[in-house]
Amino acid sequence: MLNTLLFILILGPFIAAALCYFVRISHIRSFIVLAMGCLLAVTSILLFTKAPFSHTPPPLLNIPIHWWIIWGDDGLLLTMLYYGFKHRHLFTKILIIFQIVALDYFELFMVDHSKTFPLFFADNLSLIMVLIISIVGPLICVFAIPYMNKHEEHQGLKKSRQPKFFAFLVMIIGAMNGLVLSNNIIFMYVFFEVTTLGSFMLISHDRTETALKNAVRALWMNCLAGAAFIVAMILAYITQGTVDAQELIRGGHMGGIMLTPLALLCFAGMVKAAQIPFQSWLLGAMVAPTPTSALLHSSTMVKAGAYIALRFAPGYAGTFLSQSLAVCGAFTFLATSAMAVSQSNGKKVLAYSTIGNLGLIFACAGINTPEAITAGILLIIFHAFSKALLFLCVGDIEQHIGSRDIEVMRGLYAKMPRTTLIAILGMVTMMLPPFGVLLSKWMALEAASKHLFVMVLLAVGSALMVMYWARWAGILLSAPYGSHVEPERQGVLTRLPLLALVGGAVVLSLCAPLLYSNLVAPILSAPSFSVRAGIFENPTGAFLLYPVILVLALGFIYAVYAAKKAQKARTSGPYLCGAQTTDPESFEGPMRKPVAVSSGAYYFESIFGEQRLTVWFNVCGGMLVALLIGGAL
Amino acid sequence: MIRGVILVIIGAVAAPLLGGLIAGVDRRLTAWLQSRYGPPIWQPFFDVIKLFGKERLVVNGWQVFCAHVYITATMLSVVLFFLQSDLLLILFVQAFGAIFLVIGAFSTTSPYSQVGANRELIQILTYEPLIVLVFVGIYLVTGSFKISEILAQTKPLLVSLPLLYIVLCYALTIKLRKSPFDFSTSHHAHQELVKGFLTEYSGRYLALVEIGHWYEVVLILGLCSLFWATSWIGVLVLVGVTYLCEILIDNIMARMTWQWMLGYVWTMGLAMSFVNLIWLHGR
Repeated sequence: MLNTLLFILILGPFIAAALCYFVRISHIRSFIVLAMGCLLAVTSILLFTKAPFSHTPPPLLNIPIHWWIIWGDDGLLLTMLYYGFKHRHLFTKILIIFQIVALDYFELFMVDHSKTFPLFFADNLSLIMVLIISIVGPLICVFAIPYMNKHEEHQGLKKSRQPKFFAFLVMIIGAMNGLVLSNNIIFMYVFFEVTTLGSFMLISHDRTETALKNAVRALWMNCLAGAAFIVAMILAYITQGTVDAQELIRGGHMGGIMLTPLALLCFAGMVKAAQIPFQSWLLGAMVAPTPTSALLHSSTMVKAGAYIALRFAPGYAGTFLSQSLAVCGAFTFLATSAMAVSQSNGKKVLAYSTIGNLGLIFACAGINTPEAITAGILLIIFHAFSKALLFLCVGDIEQHIGSRDIEVMRGLYAKMPRTTLIAILGMVTMMLPPFGVLLSKWMALEAASKHLFVMVLLAVGSALMVMYWARWAGILLSAPYGSHVEPERQGVLTRLPLLALVGGAVVLSLCAPLLYSNLVAPILSAPSFSVRAGIFENPTGAFLLYPVILVLALGFIYAVYAAKKAQKARTSGPYLCGAQTTDPESFEGPMRKPVAVSSGAYYFESIFGEQRLTVWFNVCGGMLVALLIGGAL
Repeated sequence: MIRGVILVIIGAVAAPLLGGLIAGVDRRLTAWLQSRYGPPIWQPFFDVIKLFGKERLVVNGWQVFCAHVYITATMLSVVLFFLQSDLLLILFVQAFGAIFLVIGAFSTTSPYSQVGANRELIQILTYEPLIVLVFVGIYLVTGSFKISEILAQTKPLLVSLPLLYIVLCYALTIKLRKSPFDFSTSHHAHQELVKGFLTEYSGRYLALVEIGHWYEVVLILGLCSLFWATSWIGVLVLVGVTYLCEILIDNIMARMTWQWMLGYVWTMGLAMSFVNLIWLHGR
């Protein structure tokens, strides 16, 4: 049974990817994607009932699994090398050749394959990741079906590139499942590399000059992560004689040289999660079609980095590495929140917010108390739903209004009320109580309060974060009132993922106490909170989740009722200092000519401008990363 | 249980009455400072009652929604305060209301409202991190974010957190929208943007916003009172002196720009917080 489940979750998407690539009929492809999505969701839930487990699957086609892995990895690296040569990027070539040489030497001459230990290991952390990947991931793929049709219509391509696109989109889901379930870190590495190749292919999908440039940047940065990963594996094997992740975590406590591999793994995770100074690859990934961004950002890919940090967190608890990781994460949180404030490009705001939230997860892993780990894991869950939702909303909006600029979305409520409301709800779940992201942020803040520097970074960062979400939500509603708003038309495959994700974001927040006590608490070294009647409590603080939800929900219902009642009231044009003309949107200007009213939001270019800050943030971030690695050597 | 119910009632009912009274005293004192006679102390209540009687006039239906959400959240935050709950939770619930008020202001197309909304966001951005740092200071002294733990202290917090109290006063001035930080909305008619982000709230909805503001004033003065919570006289002296200073500052300062506020308050506030927090860490 377990073999079948693992096969479906890890290799199933690869098979579906191959089908998508070779069967070039659009309806069959859509069917494959839908069927695979349902299958994955069901399988991930079934797998959950088996937890926790460690397992070694039998040889596949009578060849031991590790041979498959070696072949697969060489094939993968050679493919990447091909692209390195094709795009003539020297640094990529060097990194990949280094990886091939190091990996083959390691695999063929160093590792003793006769040693047996479980190849797959799953505790609740892995299974939470599997659930997110296999539920949010397929929803994004479903959204991609109508989206890509429109996208290609708009591009006017002669030959559809969708087979390749869907193949890689689906494949990444399998790779992510593999990554989070592997116990052998060589396996982990291979799946890590698959996500690198996948992101490269997806980012370069549109084949414009910028797309290719950004894809190559993503490739070399992720190869750097891969190289660090290999060095970490080799060092771990030299010092501890094993590639068993659980052994390594147990060995980390011995400190000294044992810590170096863990530091390099964290470094690899940070690059993958686009932490400062490596944020540029993820920002560049925004040129790709929206489903790509959603998949890379919310449920998968970047979460791989955060997962690695959380997975190995017990191994480096109480060390200098842990502290510097907390500072690095918190710094990224502050820096990206500041830069997001200066952005009017909606997708970029989302990108910065993703990097910031991942930074918060890294900070939690670094603080490394049970409270902080709880915050990190809950944040992974809640962020995945809300962020995937927001990306899909922006994608849908962009296809309707032809822009991703926040100022162009001004008053979008009058044109697309449904999507706008869903998007605003998504934003509210990202920043305000009683929703899950804020609950986790509260846990993170309380856990960080002993770390003065981390705390200051988080406090300023979270105020900046509230600012850009509130501004965006307000602008979406900024429409003249009075006329009846007609709901927009939307295809089933577009609406379904949006509704599922927004439902998930809200319902999971309501279920936060259950999530905590059933999923998170069992894997903590000591329980971080006592949960009673929906109240999270420990000596440090208390979060009255259910009472707050109850009161706010009553207020919300009454507010909706009052707003409905106010529809009967007399309406008026906006205040224009008494100089209004008959048209409510213009005032009487010089020569009695009507002048249209316009206003824009503040973006603080002169203070938080990207151009202005990126260099300095990269310098600081680089130094902090140097601190992290240097301190662990 | 009965104690809990009483505390909820105090929070929900007595707090706005107190807030209105404070507003009345504030006006009277301001008038005295400006050599005017000033309105009766009960004037804020008369104003609100009159606003409730006005005709409903709506610019954007979302404003109605936002005004109701605002008053719910501010009321909840004060109730949580009286129930001696978690400080950070109270701050977040209060932020919920503040953010919705801004979203309501954004929802109309009037440029006055829009500019005010942007500025109000900057005000929130300025005070929020400072309040969090004040709470961290309280945590470092008491070992908890829960108000119940703070009230169990035997020594006033002011002794160990003098600089953080000044930081809290910055936040109080911004939250009360007193000069020099009154640029999102103002009580004084001579400013370049007067009602700012409240421009389009009218009638009963403005009344709700006004009551919500009373709640907020009580909340933040309540936070001030925590610094000398060991005796009732201490609370009265501390809060009274603080509020008198606020009125004085309001009357002798001119409105500044938001750039100045962000730069000045963050520099001073973060520096003072750092110094005070490092004292605590050093012990």
